[in-house]
Amino acid sequence: MGKTVFIKDTTIGGKDKTRDIYGILLGILRERGLENEVQVVRVVDIGVYGQGVAMRVLPENFLYSHVEETDIAGIVEQSLLAGKPLAAKLVAEDSKQLRIVLRNCGVIDPEKIEEYIARDGYQALAKVLGDAPEKVIQEMKASGLRGRGGAGFPTGLKWEFTRKSPGDQKYIICNGDEGDPGAYMDRSVLEGDPHSVIEGMIIGGYAIGASKGYFYIRAEYPLAIERIEKAIKQCHESGLLGKNILGSSFNFDVEIRLGAGAFVCGEETALIASIEGKRGYPSPRPPFPSVKGLWGKPTCINNVETLANIPVILFKGGAWFAGIGTASSKGTKVFAVTGKVKNSGLVEVPMGTTIEDIVYGIGGGAMPGKSVKAIQTGGPSGGVIPKEYFRTKVDYESLQQMGSIMGSGGMIVMDEDDCMADIAKFYLGFCVDESCGKCAPCRIGGTQMLRLLKKVTEGEGTPKDLDQLEQISHAMQKASLCGLGQTAANPVLSTLHYYRAEYDAHVNNKKCPACKCAKLVRFLILSEKCVKCGMCFKACPVNAISGNRESGYLIDQTKCIRCGQCFEVCKPRAINRS
Amino acid sequence: MVKAVINGLKVEVLEGTTILDAAKKVQTKIPTLCKHPDAYLHASAACGICIVRVKGTKKMLRACCTPLEEGMDIVTHDPEIVSIRRTVLELILSNHPNECLTCGRSNNCELQSAVADFGIREEYFEKIVKDIPKDDSTGNIVLEPRKCINCGRCVDVCQNVQDVWALTFLHRGINTRMAPAGDISLAESPCVRCGQCSAHCPTGAIVEKDDTRLAWKALRDPEQYCVVQIAPAVRVALGEAFGFPIGTNVTKKMYAALRRMGFKGVFDTNFAADVTIMEEASEFIERFVHKKNVLPLITTCCPSWVDFMEKFHGDMIPHFSSAKSPHEMMGVLIKTYYAEKNKLDPAKIKVISIMPCTAKKFEISRSREMSASGFQDVDVVLTTRELARMIKQSCIDFPSLPDEDCDHILGEYSGAGTIFGATGGVMEAALRTAYSFVTGEKLPKVEFGNVRGLKGVKETSVEIEGKQVRIAVAHGLANVEYVLNLVRIAQKAGMPPPFHFIEVMACPGGCVGGGGQPYGVTNELRIARAKGLYSDDEAQTIRCSHENPYVLQLYKEFLDKPLSEKAEKLLHTHYQKMPVYRR
Amino acid sequence: MEKLTKEGLEKLRQQGAATEKNYIKVGFSSCGIAAGAQEVYDVLCEEARKHNADVEIKKCGCVGICSAEPLVEVRVKNMPRVFYGKVDKDTAIKIMEKHVCGKMLVNDRIYDLKVN
Repeated sequence: MGKTVFIKDTTIGGKDKTRDIYGILLGILRERGLENEVQVVRVVDIGVYGQGVAMRVLPENFLYSHVEETDIAGIVEQSLLAGKPLAAKLVAEDSKQLRIVLRNCGVIDPEKIEEYIARDGYQALAKVLGDAPEKVIQEMKASGLRGRGGAGFPTGLKWEFTRKSPGDQKYIICNGDEGDPGAYMDRSVLEGDPHSVIEGMIIGGYAIGASKGYFYIRAEYPLAIERIEKAIKQCHESGLLGKNILGSSFNFDVEIRLGAGAFVCGEETALIASIEGKRGYPSPRPPFPSVKGLWGKPTCINNVETLANIPVILFKGGAWFAGIGTASSKGTKVFAVTGKVKNSGLVEVPMGTTIEDIVYGIGGGAMPGKSVKAIQTGGPSGGVIPKEYFRTKVDYESLQQMGSIMGSGGMIVMDEDDCMADIAKFYLGFCVDESCGKCAPCRIGGTQMLRLLKKVTEGEGTPKDLDQLEQISHAMQKASLCGLGQTAANPVLSTLHYYRAEYDAHVNNKKCPACKCAKLVRFLILSEKCVKCGMCFKACPVNAISGNRESGYLIDQTKCIRCGQCFEVCKPRAINRS
Repeated sequence: MVKAVINGLKVEVLEGTTILDAAKKVQTKIPTLCKHPDAYLHASAACGICIVRVKGTKKMLRACCTPLEEGMDIVTHDPEIVSIRRTVLELILSNHPNECLTCGRSNNCELQSAVADFGIREEYFEKIVKDIPKDDSTGNIVLEPRKCINCGRCVDVCQNVQDVWALTFLHRGINTRMAPAGDISLAESPCVRCGQCSAHCPTGAIVEKDDTRLAWKALRDPEQYCVVQIAPAVRVALGEAFGFPIGTNVTKKMYAALRRMGFKGVFDTNFAADVTIMEEASEFIERFVHKKNVLPLITTCCPSWVDFMEKFHGDMIPHFSSAKSPHEMMGVLIKTYYAEKNKLDPAKIKVISIMPCTAKKFEISRSREMSASGFQDVDVVLTTRELARMIKQSCIDFPSLPDEDCDHILGEYSGAGTIFGATGGVMEAALRTAYSFVTGEKLPKVEFGNVRGLKGVKETSVEIEGKQVRIAVAHGLANVEYVLNLVRIAQKAGMPPPFHFIEVMACPGGCVGGGGQPYGVTNELRIARAKGLYSDDEAQTIRCSHENPYVLQLYKEFLDKPLSEKAEKLLHTHYQKMPVYRR
Repeated sequence: MEKLTKEGLEKLRQQGAATEKNYIKVGFSSCGIAAGAQEVYDVLCEEARKHNADVEIKKCGCVGICSAEPLVEVRVKNMPRVFYGKVDKDTAIKIMEKHVCGKMLVNDRIYDLKVN
C-alpha cells in the first residue's frame, strides 16, 4: 500500500488553511517526484479539534497537529520517506470509543443473519445452553452490568430475582419504548444489529426460566420493527427460536408488541399494563414485576442496550466486562450526543470517560463561533451539568451527585444561546404532556410548574413563583407514584441550582441573559454598523424589517417574532440583541 | 404475622396488610383521598396523600398500597410529610372548582373535609379547572368530570367489581378524566345504572340525579294523590343520615316522616316482595316440579342485573323469572287494586318509590310493561340519600319522631319480604314459600344460613321432598360470569344444570349496599345493615310470604292465584337482548 | 434454511469470517435513509454496473456519525478504509469513478473518525 496523507485545519474560527497546506505539500511532493507515491487528501473531519492544521500519515497512522508551513518538508522527509514519526508534532491519539453494544452497528447488514453469525453471533447462546441457568446468572452478576434503561439496577440480580420467584410461566420483555428526547441508541441497535438483542433475550429467557419473550417497541420506530421482524423470522427458520434451540432442550419464542406513543409506557409496570391491553398506567410497587408481572407472572424487563451487551459478556466472560469502567459502573455506555455540537451522533465509551472527552474529544465541541455552556443528560428525568464540571468521569453515581442521572444516555449539548429557564420549561413541558394523569402530584404539580415557568420566561414571574416551583418540585419528587413524576422536576431543580442567577434575571430584571426568551428579547439595527446589505430584510420570515439598500433597514417591533434570523445572518454584527 | 412499629407503637398484622390498614390498629388514621375503606375496591395509589416513611429514610411510601414488612419502623407524619401532603392537597384543590355550596356532596365531601382538616384557607396555587360539560344523559346518574380528582374508585368499581366497563380514563396528563369509554355519553355506554360509582365517589363528580323536585311538585299539587313505598334496604340505612347507629331499623319513624311530608298513602315494598315471592316461587315450581320450562330459574328483582343480562348475557333470557321487581308490582297494584278499592282515579295517583338504588330510576320507564296499569306504574324514584334530604327540608326532627304504622292493605309484610334487601334474601324467601308449596308443610326452620353473608358466590343445596334443589347466590356483577359459565358448560355437555335456582344482585351485599344508600359503604356496614334486616325478619310473627294474610286477601279479591292471567298481565314482564353500546 | 446445531453455527461463522473483498457499505438506518441513503445506494449500484467495478455494495446499520449521513464506507484493496460523509449523487459517482476505479481518494468528503 502506498502512503496516504489526510489534511484538515481544525482551527475553530478564522481562516481555514486546509487548502493552502494541501497545495504546499503537493508542491513539495512534485518537486521530489513523489506525486505518484503519496496520495494527499483534504478531509472534512480528522478526529481532533482546535489543534490547528492536523495531518494523518497512513499506513503508519501518525497524527500531527499544529502543522505549520515550515513543518511540511520535515514531515515529508521523516514520515513519508523514512517512515518515522516527527515527534514534535505527534498527537497521542487513544481511541476514546469502545464498541461493545455498537460492535456490529454499521459493520454488518442487519438483515443478514449470516453476517451476525460471522462476527461471533449466537456463540454466547451456544455456550450458555450447555451451562446451568444459575451459572449464567452468576456470570452476569460477576460482570457488574447495570440496566441501561436509566435506573441502573444490576441485571444479574434482576435475573436472579425473577428466576427465584415461584411460577410455572415466566416472561422476559425487551423494553424498546425509547422516548427520551434526543436519545435514540435503542433504535439504532434494533435497526443496525437486531440479532444481538434477540440473542440477549434468548439467553435471558434461558437464565430466568422463561419460555416466552416480548419485544415492546414503540410504533414510531417502523424500521426497527421491520428489522426485528425479519430477524425473528430468520431465527425461526434456523432454529434459534422455537423448540429445541440449537439442538438443546430449551424452548423459547418471542412476540412483538407495539407501543402507541406514550412515554410513560417505558415505565415497567405501565409497559406491562400496555402489553396486557390495558391503559398504560403505572401501578404501585411492590409487587415488583419480578414477582408479579405480565399476566401476573414473574417477569424480567430489560432495556435494548442491556440486552445487546449480554452476548458479548457471556462470550468473553463477566470478568472481562468487569475490567472495563469504574468501580460501581462496569462496561461501556452509549450516548446520543446531540444539540449544539459539531458531530452529533452515537458514541460508545467506557464508563468513567470524562464529559470533556465525549463533548470535545468525540463530539468536536460547539458549532463554529459558539461555545459550550452545559450538557443535559438523562432526558426529561435528568438535569443539566455546567461546563465547569466537564472533568467529571461519567458513571451512574457521579451524574446523580451532580443532580442529573444517566438515564438512557441522551446527552444534549447546549451553548451560550440556550436559556436555562427555557430548557427547564422544555423538559417539564415534555413530562407534562406525557404524564399519564394518574397521580395528583405529577398531573397537577407538573401543570402548575409549567404555568409558573411560562410566567418566568415571559417576564411575568415573581420571587414567590420561584418558591412555588421549588415547593412543588419537592412534593412531586416525594409523592409521585412512578419514576416519571418523581424525576420530572429534576431539570427545574438542577437549573435552579446551577443557574439561579439566570432565573433571577428573568424575575427581577425581566431579562433573559441568553437572549432566548422571545418575550424578553429585542432586536435593533445599529445604523452606524449597518452596511445596508439587505440580508436581514431577506431573512425575516414575517416581513417585520422594512427599508431598502439606500435608506437602510428598520425592525418593526410590533411585527417582530424574535426568531433571531436577522441576527444570525448579519455579517457585520449590526443587529443588537438585548 | 408481621411485627412492626408505627409511630413508636408496636403492631402485629397479617402478612400483606397495608400500612394504611395496619395503622388503624394503633388508632392512626392516615389521610387518603383515593383509597376507599370498602374492601371491594383496590388501592390505586392515585392521590399521593397517604405518604409515610420508614424512620430515617428519605423515600416516601404510599401507605394505601405498601404492605407492612417485618421490623419496619413507620412514621406517619413528620414536618416534611405533612408539608408535602398539604402541597398535594393544595394542588388538588387548584384543579377543583369552588362550587362547594351548590354541590351534591357539600358537607359530605372527602376533599372538602381534608381541606378543612389541613386548615387550608387560601388558594395558594392558581386555579386550573377545565370546562368539561356534565353528562346527565342517563337521567339517573350524573357525571361532573370537572369535580373529579381522578381517584379511580369509580373506574375500579365499574370494571373490577361490576364488570361493566362503562367508565374508564380518557386522555392523559392534566386532560385525564373519568368518562365512558370512547368518550360517548353515559346513556350510550354499557352503564347498568347500579350507581356504585356514585356511592364511592369522594367528591361530587358522580351523583344520582336529584328527583326531589319532582317529588315535591307532586306532593304540593292538590290534584294529585301521592302515595309512597319504601324498599326493604332503606329502613336499615336511612338512620345513618340522622346519627343512628349503623344498621338501626327506622321503619316506623320513616312511616311517620313520610306521612308528615304529605303522602296520603304510606306503603311498604316489603308487601310487594311477598307478592313477588308468590309469583316467583310458583314459577320455580312450574319449572322444577312440572318441568314446564328450562332450569335454572334466575331472579330478576335487580334492575341493574336485568340490564346487565340483556346487554351481556342475552342467551340466559329463557332462564329469567318473568316476575317484575317488587316496587313495580307495588306500583301497578296501587294504580289498579288499591285505586279500585278506594275509588280513586289512577290517573291522579302519583307513586313515589324510596329505593336504595339508582337503577330503579331507570327501571320505571324501561319498557311498556312498566305501565301495566295503563299509566306509568311508578312515577318517581328517590334514593335513600334523597329521602334524607327531603326529611331535612321538611323541618322534621327525625330522631324524635314517634313510631307509626303504615297504611293498610299494601303495607303489612312478612319476615320473608324484609330480607329481600340483603344478598341471598330473595332466595331464602323463595325457598321458604317453595318448600311449603311443594310439600304442603310448614318449614320447621325458616332460616337458610348458607345463603347469607358476603361470600361472592354462595353455592348450596336444599332438600325438598327428597329432591336436592341446587342453588347459587351471586352479588357484585363480576361474580355472575362464573355462575353462568357453569350453566353454559353443563348445557353444552347435555348435563343436568349445576343449579336449579340462582339469585343475582348487582351490588355487593345486595340492596343494603346499593348505589343509592348513604355514603361510606364497607363490609362492616353491609353486614350491620343486613343484620338489621334479619332482626326485622325475626321480629315478625309471620315469616313466610304465603302466610301473609293480606297477600292472600289480594289474591282472593283481585289476582285469583299466582301466575293467573291477571297476575301475568300485571306482575310479569319480558326481556330482550340489548346492544352493549347504543350508538 | 436448515435448523442450526452448534456445529452448524460454527461452520457458518468460519465461512463468513473468511471473505476479504472490496466493498462499499451504505448506512441504512433511519438516519441514513432520511438523509438520502437510498439514492446514494442506487447511484452506486448503477455506477458499479456501468464501470463493471470489482466491488460489493452492501447495506449496514448506523455507524454513529448521524450528522454526516448518508455515510458510505469504502474498502478497496491496498487503500485505506475510509468513510465518506454527507454523500450526495455527485460524490457517489466520484467515489465509484475516482476511488474504486481510479484508486484515488476523493477530496473534501472523508470523515476520518475512529469508530470501529
